[in-house]
Amino acid sequence: MRARIIARNEVLKIVDLLRRDHEVVAPFRGGGRDTFFDTVTDENRGRIEIHLPNPYLPPKRYVLPQIEKLLRFRPRDGTWELLPEFNDRKRAIFGLRSCDVAGIHHLDRFFLGREFRDPYYERRRKNLFIVNVVCTDPEQDINDECYCLCSDTGPAARDHFDLQLMDLGEGEFMAVAGTPAGEALFAEPIFRPATPGQVERRRRILSEVRHRFKNTTGWFSATVRYISRGQVLEKTWEEIGHRCLECGGCTYVCPACTCFTVTDRPVGNGEIERVRLWDSCALGGFTRMAGGHNPRRAVHDRRNRRFFRKLAHYFIQRELSMACVGCGRCAAVCHGDVGMPSVVEMIRRATAELDRHEPVKS
Amino acid sequence: MNQSNPENIYLPKLAVLDRVVDEIDEVKTFFWHFKEEADQAAFRRFRPGQFAQVSIFGAGEFPASLPPSPTEEETFFTIRKVGSVTDALHRLRPGQEFGVRGPYGNGFPMEQYHGRNLVFVAGGIGLIPLRSCIVYALANRDKFGKIQIFYGARVPKDLMYQPLLREWEKAGGFECYLTVDRPDADWKGHVGVVGSLFKKSGVQVPVANTTAFVCGPPVMFRFVIKDLLAMGLPETDIVSTLERYMKCGVGKCGHCCIGVAYVCVDGPVFTFQQIRKLGEDI
Amino acid sequence: MTGVYPSMSHPSNQGRICVRGWNVHEVASSTDRLRQPLLRTTNGFKEVSWEKAIEFVARRMRDIRDWHGADALAFFNSPRCSNEESYLLQKLARAVVGTNNVEHGTGVYCNNSIDTLLEMIGHPATTNSVGELSESEVLVVDGVDLGMQLPTIGGRVIRARLNGAKLIVVDARRQRVAEQADFFLQLRPGTRALLYGAMAKVIVDRGLMNLPFIKSHCRNYEAFLEAVRQYDLLAVAECCGVPAERIEAAAVAYAQAKSAAILYSTGVAARGRGSTRALVNLALLTGNIGRRGGGIFALTEHNNLQGTCDMGMLPDRLPGYCPVGDEAARRRLEILWKARVPETPGLDAQRVFDNAGGGQVRGVWLLRYDPVNTAIFCDAASALSKMELVVVQHLFMTSTAQYAHVILPVVAFGEERVSFTSTDRRIQLAEKVIEPPPGPKPAWRQLTEVARALDADWHYQDAGEVMEEITRAVPFYSGATHENLARNYGRQWPCTRDKMLGTKYLFEEGIPPQAFNFAVVPRPQTPQGASDDYPVAAIFGNSLYYWNQNVLVQHSETLKRELRVLLLDYPEGFVEVSEEDARRLGVRDGEKIRLVGHHGSSVAAARVTGEVRSGTITVPFFVKEVMKQIMGEGAFEAVSRTKPVFVRLEKA
Repeated sequence: MRARIIARNEVLKIVDLLRRDHEVVAPFRGGGRDTFFDTVTDENRGRIEIHLPNPYLPPKRYVLPQIEKLLRFRPRDGTWELLPEFNDRKRAIFGLRSCDVAGIHHLDRFFLGREFRDPYYERRRKNLFIVNVVCTDPEQDINDECYCLCSDTGPAARDHFDLQLMDLGEGEFMAVAGTPAGEALFAEPIFRPATPGQVERRRRILSEVRHRFKNTTGWFSATVRYISRGQVLEKTWEEIGHRCLECGGCTYVCPACTCFTVTDRPVGNGEIERVRLWDSCALGGFTRMAGGHNPRRAVHDRRNRRFFRKLAHYFIQRELSMACVGCGRCAAVCHGDVGMPSVVEMIRRATAELDRHEPVKS
Repeated sequence: MNQSNPENIYLPKLAVLDRVVDEIDEVKTFFWHFKEEADQAAFRRFRPGQFAQVSIFGAGEFPASLPPSPTEEETFFTIRKVGSVTDALHRLRPGQEFGVRGPYGNGFPMEQYHGRNLVFVAGGIGLIPLRSCIVYALANRDKFGKIQIFYGARVPKDLMYQPLLREWEKAGGFECYLTVDRPDADWKGHVGVVGSLFKKSGVQVPVANTTAFVCGPPVMFRFVIKDLLAMGLPETDIVSTLERYMKCGVGKCGHCCIGVAYVCVDGPVFTFQQIRKLGEDI
Repeated sequence: MTGVYPSMSHPSNQGRICVRGWNVHEVASSTDRLRQPLLRTTNGFKEVSWEKAIEFVARRMRDIRDWHGADALAFFNSPRCSNEESYLLQKLARAVVGTNNVEHGTGVYCNNSIDTLLEMIGHPATTNSVGELSESEVLVVDGVDLGMQLPTIGGRVIRARLNGAKLIVVDARRQRVAEQADFFLQLRPGTRALLYGAMAKVIVDRGLMNLPFIKSHCRNYEAFLEAVRQYDLLAVAECCGVPAERIEAAAVAYAQAKSAAILYSTGVAARGRGSTRALVNLALLTGNIGRRGGGIFALTEHNNLQGTCDMGMLPDRLPGYCPVGDEAARRRLEILWKARVPETPGLDAQRVFDNAGGGQVRGVWLLRYDPVNTAIFCDAASALSKMELVVVQHLFMTSTAQYAHVILPVVAFGEERVSFTSTDRRIQLAEKVIEPPPGPKPAWRQLTEVARALDADWHYQDAGEVMEEITRAVPFYSGATHENLARNYGRQWPCTRDKMLGTKYLFEEGIPPQAFNFAVVPRPQTPQGASDDYPVAAIFGNSLYYWNQNVLVQHSETLKRELRVLLLDYPEGFVEVSEEDARRLGVRDGEKIRLVGHHGSSVAAARVTGEVRSGTITVPFFVKEVMKQIMGEGAFEAVSRTKPVFVRLEKA
């Protein structure tokens, strides 16, 4: 990737360029510490922020909406018309964090890989242009719960973006293209080539930022090992289950969670629409079969399930991507403080007992 | 690839209900065909053990195993009424349309069993998914060794596919043993759980070069597996088909995932060794 | 509306919400919304214009009032209604029609709490803020399954515990939060007042009471002390079924804490006055009112139960809680409303639906209220079918709406700018974020139009103007204009003109002398209790079983699945049995069990759970038949008076 430089006060011109043929969403501040992605209009363009806390609601909703129409069934002349409902709008996300870039990549692997390709996801994804912004401001960009270092997804994504921007300070941003679509923007005069000195500055800033994370969930790969081998004690899962209030929040805000449910609902004139909705394995009814058998009835079995799906070797290999991107949202949203970082810590403490070696008897 | 619709994996194809046959209480068999010839032809390449996603427009969708063998003429499902969608299916009249996606799943790899002895063990409505491979095996009799069918239900009126059972009991070339837990006044056959048939006098269950197919309610499943393992059957030679709540049937919605497997794409057919190693209780 | 997510900066939830919150967008976008007003005809409901509907309603109301008197009409709403529409509903009843027959439908549950708090501390609400729970050294959770009912608060409690706070849980049921408790007092049903009395005695005996606080701020201490001396710890422990050491340790922990908070629910699980008084006594005894991190949390289990009561949807209290008999208070309102205000307390929903208030009430107005489904204390369907006029304002065709003569569709959350008051007195503005579909109108606007059709001079242009008037009617809302509320997540009342920023915790600026009253709670008779014939206490349960009837649940795919799981697993209802009792009886989960009571017996499916205390059985409210069969017609009364009922269990 060949780097370019763009002046700080010209960065938003990228938004303008993209708005020519995309709906652009960018981050804005709300009340208090709230931030959110919203569609850029002439009215709000000036309020786009680059350094701010990562919006809570994950940008996965642009490729996997909270409610999405799949099909419409229309009765006609004694038969049924079965009509897919696609959304082909071109969209660009300006200001996607590196953890969320990894999240979208994980969704790509999941929805587009293996036996079946999800056409709804595919269309939205094909029409999506990603502008990644590297987290460099420890006060603004990095939340208390962030741990992208541990999941190796940040603070600077290595690929899977169209364009990456990084604040080098001194009124300059470095831009790197990850795809030909991103590269095409470099024809614009707002970009000029970078010098080795600027590349060095990038390296230095990144190296410094890595020390500014408040919370590091060390022991991540050991947790992967324990979970993959089924060595986590039942007691630990029960403890976690006692603290879980089954709200589903962790799943809803996770950039790498993909589960959904499907339902048919009448929309008038005898027509039916089939929609899919975000679902969560945290909820009791997730695995309940008609007839009553529910293989995951107990809360702690469901918590076990979540972390197994996220961290077991098998799945990491299946998707060549881990279903946890270190964004920390699950920790922020959890009532009982059993988000990923806390669970990793609880497993560490509990299983450290198992690992204790006996002294050699001479 | 066994998709009925590679461009849109969620889009069903139109199917028409031909006729309905009452089976046991709350269970009916629905004979149907795809409206489009091409869809029907593509679907007929299904394998025993696969399933399809059935849409009743407005009520929803549910997974249905495919009881017919690819060697038979008609396509049909045998469905018990357990929820709102199956209830809507039970109210359909011949001539009415519904939707089908599929066939999905891995199915039983019958070619891999050529030359082997086949032991089929089913309980209650567990006979529905196994019917497909039993009929297939019997239609290709010369390709397999000894064939035994063990089937039981709680009471005589719960026995599935009774006309077919009567044929099997009378036919030669393979063995068919039936049992019920609780007989009624007319029952003249064996009484006891399915596993008790293994010990019936004259029954010799082969253990070497044998594949056992087991399908039935959880309790029956557990005990039969125990019996088969005790007899010396390796756990890689016992296969079953698992059931799970499903929404998409194509490995995306997450509901059917047990341990490391998505039942809809990695299954629904698994060996007992795979089941044991899933990483979660079924 | 395609999605929802919480605000990270909200002072109460800090971005953590429950599964219901995560799915609230499904209600507004549901495809079953009612669009046009519907009038009942002999051939079913017919769509009519708004003019016609309003005219019909006004005419029928006028007829009934003229023929049978103002008290022949009653006005009920749901504790999910906004402040503006609640205020206008009771104003319509009082100022335009002339009756005090108004209520919010769940009064039978929370009135005891309101009356007790008013008489003891002068304010009928939670004293502190939800945000302060992280600062409490000790938390007492009494009889509320926070994990199921109020997960956001449950989460606060769990996290406070993880941070070192001590948790005392008082409940017959071992619910989720109890797993974290330092002291789990799993008491027998009906013995709460005893328990708290004993705890008070321990505190007094050990000299751990806050004498300076008591001397400066509390009346009636001597009488209270007299009563408390009658409690004997060991006898109480025996009665409650809780080890004496544990009661003692809990009492000491509570008293010694720098700040300790008590949480109980004013929701569906009715509580008797005695136990609420005893609870508040403890807070007064230890000086935990007017202290940061301390206080009493009278948790409201509906989004606007607090606001609805503040707005006067109570048959015996005006907006702001002055009794209707208080002449000066009536005068003030009469001047503001330019109309007479009736002085006789009215009938509540229970009395009206139970025999139409003695045959007196002939017409009811139901705003977002679905008593056929949710009023567990009566047979609303039967009462409604006998009414001459039933006006229903709702989003959907509910079971109650089937009995209406006219149905007026309202708008949903997010479609109008109105205010709600949360459990910690936070008056919050819900903004309008989306246009309602064509057809439905805001409820407050419909009320205005009906009032005008009844010749009242109402002319509110928007909900903000209604709020403007509320600031003049309710003293502790006097600063709560929409403009003020639009800042910073609302304001906690008292929010007055000289305290525009609101009040984080009551008495934060100081306690007036002798402001509080101890209550005398004489040692209760050992509750008429278990006998050899009827050894098991039946508890009437709420929790998640209640939610399945809720409108949000019915229109959200996820919630419907989750909260109906129990109904699907036990299609004919169920009762909950402890594991020990089930084992002893030889009853497995799902099998039938018989409850034999004094008046009769009932058979239901048993749900076996580790949460239920041995020696008790929980009967969910919605299995009304079971209650009736065991207790006969006294069923509903027993529920609202919280008298324990005893049964014998048998395998059926």
